Amino acid sequence: MLPSPSLIVQSLVDGVFLGFLFSLVALGLSLVFGVMGFINFAHGDFLMASAYLVWVLASSLRTEPLATAALTVPLFFVVGAAVYFLVARPLLGREPLMQIAVTVGVGYVLQNVALMSFRAEPRASLSYALNTYFGLGPVSVHAAKLVAALMSFAIVVGLDYLLKRTWFGLAVRATAYDRETAMLMGVDVNKVYVAVFGLGIALTALASSLWMTFGQVDPYLGASFGLVSWIVIALGGLGGVPGILASSLIIGVVQSLTTNIVSPSVKMAAASVVFLLVLWFRPRGLFGKV
Amino acid sequence: MSPLLEIKDVEAGYGPFVVLHGVSLRVDRGEIVALVGPNGAGKTTTLKTIVGLTTLYRGRVVLDGRDVTREPPHARVGRGLALVPEGRGIFVPLTVLENLRLGAYSREARAKMDETLEMVFSVFPRLKERRNQIAGTLSGEESQMLAIGRALMSRPRVLLLDESSQGLAPKIVEELFEVFRRLNSEWGVTMLLVEQHVKRSLELANRAYVMESGRIVLEGESGELMRNEMLRKAYLVV
Repeated sequence: MLPSPSLIVQSLVDGVFLGFLFSLVALGLSLVFGVMGFINFAHGDFLMASAYLVWVLASSLRTEPLATAALTVPLFFVVGAAVYFLVARPLLGREPLMQIAVTVGVGYVLQNVALMSFRAEPRASLSYALNTYFGLGPVSVHAAKLVAALMSFAIVVGLDYLLKRTWFGLAVRATAYDRETAMLMGVDVNKVYVAVFGLGIALTALASSLWMTFGQVDPYLGASFGLVSWIVIALGGLGGVPGILASSLIIGVVQSLTTNIVSPSVKMAAASVVFLLVLWFRPRGLFGKV
Repeated sequence: MSPLLEIKDVEAGYGPFVVLHGVSLRVDRGEIVALVGPNGAGKTTTLKTIVGLTTLYRGRVVLDGRDVTREPPHARVGRGLALVPEGRGIFVPLTVLENLRLGAYSREARAKMDETLEMVFSVFPRLKERRNQIAGTLSGEESQMLAIGRALMSRPRVLLLDESSQGLAPKIVEELFEVFRRLNSEWGVTMLLVEQHVKRSLELANRAYVMESGRIVLEGESGELMRNEMLRKAYLVV
């Protein structure tokens, strides 16, 4: 039986919303990877850890999940800076395999601490204010998802501006291209690295606050976001922020369509298939020059 | 007169590989000093050591009486050192203007950026025409102008130039040396010049050092060195 057109439209809309949230997470990861060549496989697990923090704060303080971002975002910037010094910096310039092994290990630690502290069942702290639906033609729009998408988009555009139009952004792009020459320009490369790593992790905290307005957290939440982010980076290739946005939306839509039309359990498989197809036909990503 | 830049008894290299074995040299205010010698003599390493991009085992780097030996490269640049690296080090994906802005990244230079930019554009009008182009689209000659212009953006007290004429046509090299002369006489830029065009750089420089295998083997006034029998045989085959 064919899916109804309204289900398809609904899935497209939900997929686009989800895609914007993905772009927020993937942009942080791509900055860390692009600027310092560091492969972080624990990126999604920081989102998971922050989501638990959102849940604890929102349920104990009886506040909106989104409001907790005021605390979690600065806190996770500091966490990111600490992780940079303790984990990333000693591994800069080392073999990718080493970086992968260590960060996968960090991810396992985070997952198991979460499992020990919160057990395996999913936790939710739905937004009271945003947990409403409104109709838009044939589509029903979840207010929380709409807000998450709009905020993600605003932040991603803001970061694009930051990268393209500020002294900090100029230093980041120079460092990404040629670290030694950036030093010759008077850029404190180490400071750039700390800031970028902190920013990347802070973005996972922001994304987790948005996610928790409609989603739930379990110890393995990080796997979907982390893996999706890497797929997005590979698809986005050298496309910069627009590339990240476009490929995030593609993966969001693919996941949403397969979830609603086939089964939620195949959404990662579907994203991986798209990934494989793109690697097969456009090995430098959708936006890279072949 | 106290020198503007001085390195004293420097032993330096890359990790475990020692390249410089006790190099000392000085550059006085307003001077052009040439550093010449065969490939692998340690000229590039000397310049990199001055800005702090090598491993230093022994010796000191002094800028205008201040010991900067322990300072990281970005801090030394903030104090007035600028290196135009070998191979130019252009940020290829950025625009010409963005490259020039990066030259003025340090705090004091940033405050004077617009003014300096006009001066750089007056020396290199071509850069003004191409300011919004991606730097990767420039010709070799224009890239070299950009690399020098970008170094000037930091308002350097000492400009270090590493093989700036490399890969340029003879006529362009001549123009480039004319630019060096102008920068020195009109802008008062002090320069330490590493060059493969030995004769030309000796004609331009006040003094020169000759390096071989990580050591200074000869130094003196340029005119004096040009008459030196050993140097003539090695580099100035007429």
